[in-house]
Amino acid sequence: MFVPSITNPIGDVVREWVPKLAEYLPVAIQSETLNSIVAFLVNAVICVIAVCAVNIGSAPILIYMERKVCAHVQCRLGPMRLGWHGTIQTIADVLKMLFKEVYNPGGVDKIMYYMAPLIVLIAPFMVAALIPFGPTLVVADVDMGIPLIIAVNGFGVLGILLGGWSSNNKYSLLGALRSGAQMISYEISFAMILLFVVMITGSTNLMDITQSQSGTVLDWMIFKVPVIGFIAFILFFISSTAEMNRAPFDIAEAEQELTGGYHTEYTGTPFAMFYLAEYIALVTNSALATTCFLGGFHAPCIGVAAVDTYLNMVPGVVWFFAKVYFMIWCYMMVRWTFVRPRVDQLMSFEWKFLLPVNLVMLVIGAIYVALF
Amino acid sequence: MPNISQMMTALSGAFPLGGMDIAFYVVAAVMLFTALLTVAAKNILQSAVFLIFSFVGTAILYMLLHAEFIALAQVMVYVGGVVIFVVFTILLTSHLGEDAFSAKIPRTFAAFALAIAFVAIMVKMILPIEALQAATPNAPEGYASLNAFALRLLSYGTDGFVIPFEVVSILLLMTLICSITVARKDKEEQNREQSKEVQK
Repeated sequence: MFVPSITNPIGDVVREWVPKLAEYLPVAIQSETLNSIVAFLVNAVICVIAVCAVNIGSAPILIYMERKVCAHVQCRLGPMRLGWHGTIQTIADVLKMLFKEVYNPGGVDKIMYYMAPLIVLIAPFMVAALIPFGPTLVVADVDMGIPLIIAVNGFGVLGILLGGWSSNNKYSLLGALRSGAQMISYEISFAMILLFVVMITGSTNLMDITQSQSGTVLDWMIFKVPVIGFIAFILFFISSTAEMNRAPFDIAEAEQELTGGYHTEYTGTPFAMFYLAEYIALVTNSALATTCFLGGFHAPCIGVAAVDTYLNMVPGVVWFFAKVYFMIWCYMMVRWTFVRPRVDQLMSFEWKFLLPVNLVMLVIGAIYVALF
Repeated sequence: MPNISQMMTALSGAFPLGGMDIAFYVVAAVMLFTALLTVAAKNILQSAVFLIFSFVGTAILYMLLHAEFIALAQVMVYVGGVVIFVVFTILLTSHLGEDAFSAKIPRTFAAFALAIAFVAIMVKMILPIEALQAATPNAPEGYASLNAFALRLLSYGTDGFVIPFEVVSILLLMTLICSITVARKDKEEQNREQSKEVQK
């Protein structure tokens, strides 16, 4: 009845065990349909837990990593006191954030105020469900992967606009408007680069995109199309940084000018949710970059059989997360390396440089597909 | 204790398509509720947000009809584009909450009558169609998949839509160019503004 498009060992175990356990039930209740429905629901719950574990579990790691990377870039040590090299510090941070009082300023629109952090979390969670973490590890193997990612990204803008407006604070509203304008503009080039990838691979399914990069390192999208692939990767990097509102494109929450942007008035758990959404977006965008450009869960084979057998012995998930964390490290280094551009510089960079270059890239990609 | 298998057969009688049917009724109810809230909410921004949820419900309905691309286009265009711009304009223009608009009674009554008449006509037109009553899917497997969809858009002949596609794209290009011309400042205007600032 409910047959998954990609078989997964855990799902198979559940489908095997549910009928066995059902035999202990009274005969009147037993039926094929019920078994398949229950197995489907159990698998769905497992998928939800898995997505939550990957997303929420990576947030403390990223907070720790960000502090350490930042500290070492600035020739400091970062957190060192609590636990080994300050590892317990992030747990203390998370607990502090969760136990803070949740309150709202006077005169806010309460429905909108508390709905905004929830809406912001929609997009990263949806994208995380689409990403193939391993050959059999994907929650939703849908044909419309890339269009779905482009579609749900709109919710992030909405959440930020609502949060900024409902805070009843001029700084928040200004931050939200800036951030909304920035995200809408950079979403276009983000989508265009994803379309370039779709054009080269000929599929919008993220699993197909990954499988088309199997082989050696030279088969990865970044090297597969000579030079253009690398340019596309850089463009993706820039537009995703801006789309996530991360520094150097964090004019939306520029502390010196806007005290913190759209989440100025948020405290406690709602603030933690905005923060979480930002870090999950970091993970999902890195995972997207990995899937589309760095070969996904494929091992970095170099074409020498003796080395490749050892590399292939490592499971795909490990390679995937290694690449994801490398990408995250790149995002963090960029954050602590470059200075923040002005608002008008940021917008003219997108509309006058990035977008035309993206259009040219699409044309070149079409020529490449037609010729080779 | 009622027999569960009997209950399940009764359930499957009420919902012949199983989960699909239940999902349809749930989504339809949520859509109606949010649509009602869109009209009833006093704050315009709240209306816009509920409108978004209503649109998302429409997208889910398309998805239940196996028209995935239309569903995603709905989310992309309406949620990601149109409503975000509506929210933007509301944020930039009106003083929210200061003058919650109130509709006049005769106008409300007329709108009510029109809406009910519209629904009645729709139901009357849709009900007699036998194919809908039998509920057998007419299109072949994969008719609305992205590949088939794109190929149909770009092919000509009996099953192709290349000319409408091109016409629409030219229309979109025209709109883009027009909007840029309208929004663009010419040199004189810019100079005038600068001289004004200097005078201040």
